[in-house]
Amino acid sequence: MISQLFILSSKGDNLIYKDSSVRGEAGSDVINVFYEKVTALPGDQPPVVMNHGDLHFVHVRQGGLYWVATTTADSSPFSIIEFLNRLASLVKDYCGDLTEKAVQMNFALIYELLDEVVDYGYVQSMSSDVLKNFIQTEAVSPRPFSLFQLSNVGLFGAETQQSKVAPSSAASRPIQSSREQGGKSEIFVDVIERMSVVIGSNGVLMKADVEGEIKVKCYMPNCSEMRIGLNEEFSIGKSQLRGYGAAVRVDEVSFHQAVKLDEFDSSRILRLSPSQGEQTVMQYQLSDVLPSAPPFRLFPTIERDSGGKLLMYLKLRCDLPPKSAAINLCASIPVPKGSVSMSLELSSPDQSAELKLQSRSIEWTIPRFPGGTQLSALFKVEVPGLSPSSLMEVGPMVLNFELPKLTVSGLQVRFLRLSPVQPGPAQRWVRYVTHSDSYILRI
Amino acid sequence: MTDSKYFTTTKKGEIFELKAELNSDKKEKKKEAVKKVIASMTVGKDVSALFPDVVNCMQTDNLELKKLVYLYLMNYAKSQPDMAIMAVNTFVKDCEDLNPLIRALAVRTMGCIRVDKITEYLCEPLRKCLKDEDPYVRKTAAVCVAKLHDINAQLVEDQGFLDTLKDLISDSNPMVVANAVAALSEIAESHPNSNLLDLNPQTINKLLTALNECTEWGQIFILDCLANYSPRDDRESQSICERVTPRLSHANSAVVLSAVKVLMKFMEMLPKDLDYYGTLLKKLAPPLVTLLSAEPELQYVALRNINLIVQRRPEILKHEMKVFFVKYNDPIYVKLEKLDIMIRLASQANIAQVLAELKEYATEVDVDFVRKAVRAIGRCAIKVEQSAERCVSTLLDLIQTKVNYVVQEAIVVIKDIFRKYPNKYESVIATLCEHLESLDEPEARAAMIWIVGEYAERIDNADELLESFLEGFHDESTQVQLQLLTAIVKLFLKKPTETQELVQQVLSLATQDSDNPDLRDRGYIYWRLLSTDPVAAKEVVLAEKPLISEETDLIEPTLLEELICHIGTLASVYHKPPSAFVEGSRGVQHKRLTSSAGSGESVESPDTGSAAVSEAPPTVIPSQGDLLGDLLNLDLTPPTSTGPPPTTAPGMQLGAMDLLGGGLDSLLGGDIGGSPAMGTGFGAPPAAMPASFNAPISGGLDDLFDLGGGGGLTMGTYIPPKSVWLPAMKAKGLEISGTFVRRSGVIQMEMTLNNKAMSVMSDFAIQFNRNSFGLAPAGPLQILTPISPNQSIEAALPLSTVGPVMKMEPLNNLQVAVKNNIDVFYFSCQYPISMLFLEDGKMERQVFLATWKDIPNENESQFQIKDCHLNSDAASNKLQGSNIFTIAKRTVEGQDMLYQSMKLTNGIWVLAELRVQAGNPNYTISLKCRAPEVSQCVFQNYETVLKN
Repeated sequence: MISQLFILSSKGDNLIYKDSSVRGEAGSDVINVFYEKVTALPGDQPPVVMNHGDLHFVHVRQGGLYWVATTTADSSPFSIIEFLNRLASLVKDYCGDLTEKAVQMNFALIYELLDEVVDYGYVQSMSSDVLKNFIQTEAVSPRPFSLFQLSNVGLFGAETQQSKVAPSSAASRPIQSSREQGGKSEIFVDVIERMSVVIGSNGVLMKADVEGEIKVKCYMPNCSEMRIGLNEEFSIGKSQLRGYGAAVRVDEVSFHQAVKLDEFDSSRILRLSPSQGEQTVMQYQLSDVLPSAPPFRLFPTIERDSGGKLLMYLKLRCDLPPKSAAINLCASIPVPKGSVSMSLELSSPDQSAELKLQSRSIEWTIPRFPGGTQLSALFKVEVPGLSPSSLMEVGPMVLNFELPKLTVSGLQVRFLRLSPVQPGPAQRWVRYVTHSDSYILRI
Repeated sequence: MTDSKYFTTTKKGEIFELKAELNSDKKEKKKEAVKKVIASMTVGKDVSALFPDVVNCMQTDNLELKKLVYLYLMNYAKSQPDMAIMAVNTFVKDCEDLNPLIRALAVRTMGCIRVDKITEYLCEPLRKCLKDEDPYVRKTAAVCVAKLHDINAQLVEDQGFLDTLKDLISDSNPMVVANAVAALSEIAESHPNSNLLDLNPQTINKLLTALNECTEWGQIFILDCLANYSPRDDRESQSICERVTPRLSHANSAVVLSAVKVLMKFMEMLPKDLDYYGTLLKKLAPPLVTLLSAEPELQYVALRNINLIVQRRPEILKHEMKVFFVKYNDPIYVKLEKLDIMIRLASQANIAQVLAELKEYATEVDVDFVRKAVRAIGRCAIKVEQSAERCVSTLLDLIQTKVNYVVQEAIVVIKDIFRKYPNKYESVIATLCEHLESLDEPEARAAMIWIVGEYAERIDNADELLESFLEGFHDESTQVQLQLLTAIVKLFLKKPTETQELVQQVLSLATQDSDNPDLRDRGYIYWRLLSTDPVAAKEVVLAEKPLISEETDLIEPTLLEELICHIGTLASVYHKPPSAFVEGSRGVQHKRLTSSAGSGESVESPDTGSAAVSEAPPTVIPSQGDLLGDLLNLDLTPPTSTGPPPTTAPGMQLGAMDLLGGGLDSLLGGDIGGSPAMGTGFGAPPAAMPASFNAPISGGLDDLFDLGGGGGLTMGTYIPPKSVWLPAMKAKGLEISGTFVRRSGVIQMEMTLNNKAMSVMSDFAIQFNRNSFGLAPAGPLQILTPISPNQSIEAALPLSTVGPVMKMEPLNNLQVAVKNNIDVFYFSCQYPISMLFLEDGKMERQVFLATWKDIPNENESQFQIKDCHLNSDAASNKLQGSNIFTIAKRTVEGQDMLYQSMKLTNGIWVLAELRVQAGNPNYTISLKCRAPEVSQCVFQNYETVLKN
């Protein structure tokens, strides 16, 4: 049960405040109380649930804003957090963007949304399909008018090369404008995976987890049903293997409530009538076993040279298929306390590396790392009074990267069918990406 | 044109301008004006002056404008109740609008306006809307009932809205059902006694059906409601579990967790050998693991809950250790929580893996995390014995890094390892000593000093080491000073010749130069011990220490049970019961798990914080003489035969705790506030134990005896003869003599009331002062007829042990006030403590052994019973009659040792060893009890029982 709801800017300004239950109690000074508490919080304290007397604050941060709910009774923080996250994405769907300005400009719309979404602290419905029947206020888009944007829309109706590629900003616009203004019909299906891997110092894969989700973002007012076909050899659980060969296997799957699964068992098809806006259609997990080798391996040599310097010779190999590549790779390697300076040799000119004294680590950045290749680096770190036990402080190496157009689980969207068949140039986009969540190479 | 301009108008006369705009004829302009008003409202400006103008805009067919006006109304109606009345007509009209959106809007808003005058007008429209044809209106009306109930509960009941609400549970629309359930649950919470949400198999079935069709938020309400239900048997709970299980794969984590709560609770009902039980266990793991892939905030909340689940049922996640390995980019609060769970899951099977992880964590950068990781290694060593050696070597490796805080943490945990596995790993002491200088934290210094003192005989230069600490004695923290004092005394006892000077130095530092009472007292104790009896000192100081327990940081089982019932709520995040942080006692119910073996009672009677407070003065009554004045304001109940019981008991939570000395805490047992026994009430005596319960379990002779015993009284029970408690001369002619007896588990006070005065006595009532074991009359004193002069009458008063508690001297003293038509009289008497021995006081042999060892030796007391000529068997039989049970008998060199146990009504166990030597009339008895205060009483009881 939610007592009050408010949205604050990062500076603590009150953007939206609603005493959703009208249970009377605390006044609006709760906002100040909350802001003082959250800014004074020490780093290791969990910020999620805080209490002030009988009042409990639950908050999340989205789009640089604080989304806060208060509750007095022993209610479920899960539903509140979940609710706040949904609310943020609902506001994003309706206003097109999640910024202080967008919230400020659309306050009337947001109040109206809140009215429908919570009544007396009970969450009602957050599905944009249901809500569109009730919401009257038009969204005001904060996007400034610019020529650059015009070129994207296809100047003079010409199909320019640019409009063939979905611009990354295309997916952030208010859903309602598409209904009212007959905006471009578009649908985006994103398969996003995050991998966390730990590889031991002996090169053994100690842990490999993949969390994935399929997100649909729909700007098609009259699309009643869509069917997403996944790999036919997609299987769930350890025992359930289908056919031979490279099965795509996951451990756990959960689906959005709106997804109909009658064709899922037989032909791996998800049926749903997409709501306007963004929704996560399917989430899945895979743990312990990767269908292919982990994308990166490290071959380190760490020693103390005769001059008392720390020598680190690192070979990093990328085991992706040759046509793929990792981009924006950044490796960070902790170095012993007291490190002063570093000299380095890198195997190719586009890489760079730097010793960050503040975080006591070396940051090695590689803009693009194609599959099947190998890079190496030699770091000589000056550490006064280097002892043999200091070598233990080196590592582990942490990698951050992005693998575009690739899913490590192997999950693919075979087809995407919309019905009724869309008139005009409906645009369908399927995008894949894998991010590193936590990729650790121990030394 | 954008809305942001609304926030920038701060000019003078703004209100005036807005007023003009609000009264404009143009709809657009009006709308813009209302928006501006609301914008000002949001930033906290007072725009209440515009109330009439805004209300005027209400009558419009523009829905957007109407919504804005309603928004404004909700905010200000409370401060402007008279104005709000102006809007009522529009509300009522809107409730009958053709457009369901407007009908719902009106009902929703009216419920939010907390003005009494409005609620009167609300009833009729609300009644219509509850039966509206449109589900959107019905679901809004359902919530409105809850709102109205909060404003005026009586009105809601009188108008019969609650029944309508109950009907809505069977509505065809799932949204309506969900809101009806939510509203009913909330209303039921504020009326714990009403069975509003009457959960029976039929309604449960309805709810389960609705569950499949509801929105996700509705599912949460329904699941939370289900969790309050206690299934009748395991079949029913299995079938509910089966229907709830599909929720585990829901995408909304709140639904998942509510489902987990229901399953965890109902699982208690299932027999463990059931196949389904195993299946259910397997099904619980994947959704819990899935929760960990959410945002960090949800992860944290999930981990706090998993922490509880793992303590209750470690088997669910025992194979999922890897998911709790930390990621480098987890926020620190998630990392710490994961670490905690890792240790709880650590077992022999996975310890190698866990240790490897922990070792990695210990070399990370984040100081807090590293410290916790090092501690975790120590906890592993203590938890999994097989791993201790590896843990120690891992810790030694870490010490080699010479990272200051790592070394200090490592030393602290190595101390704990020594306490768990004494004399096993001293080989590492040499390494530890190398790092002596680098220790600057008190805890680490104290740990190191403890190690040096404990193993002084194996450290050649122990005296030098300790001496080096002594130099800065006064700058150390208390913790270190105390430890240093003890360590040096230990050293002295082990190597007296070389260290005499050192020990004198530390004793004088502690006793003469210190202001700290703890330190001074400990110093004096050692000093006197050493000077009077060095041998005793050695026994005391160098006594074998109890091993530290395996899991020191487990949540206490009863709290854990309660928290399991609150999975997914704030309580599970704070790890505190809701009563600890939810305002007042409104709606707080202590929940307990129902187990398959348990009785029907699952939800305790709520702790209503009853207003009835004992009027007895909370002071300790010094002596009988002064009693009168102090107790005069005792409020005695009128002598009605069916009247309400005396008001003593509910007040027991009040002062009792404060009055008790520290040592007595254990006497109280766990049940002081809101104990289950409270529910039995005072009108009826506690349920009688079946007489056969008393039958001795072994020994043919006893059986024979038992046959003879009749009238519910076990043969051999010693009943002290009646003694005069209140002499006639002190009580205007009323003489009371009496005794105490325990019959079939019921304590009775049997009295003879003798009227030695010249007039008739009537209107008797009785009340007790607080006493050590909470004895209180379980009903009014039943003396129906007046007592005429020279007549005496027998009265038996059943007693309960749930009254207010206060330590008395002697412990078994009872102060009683008796009232009649003449006056109030006071007396005190002593009851034999055996009245309080329970019939189930026979301990299992194994438990007895363990408990005997566990109770520290200082709690043991020895007594002599002289001139007793029974043999050991006869003594045992006699004692059994008073619920003192013999558990085992051993004969060593002609001496019989009887091991006996008894259990007091407040749950305290007393263990006894009775030595009987043939031909010797003197018995020796040793008593061990966690509350040594009772020993004296128990001994006296032995003596009286054995000699009579």
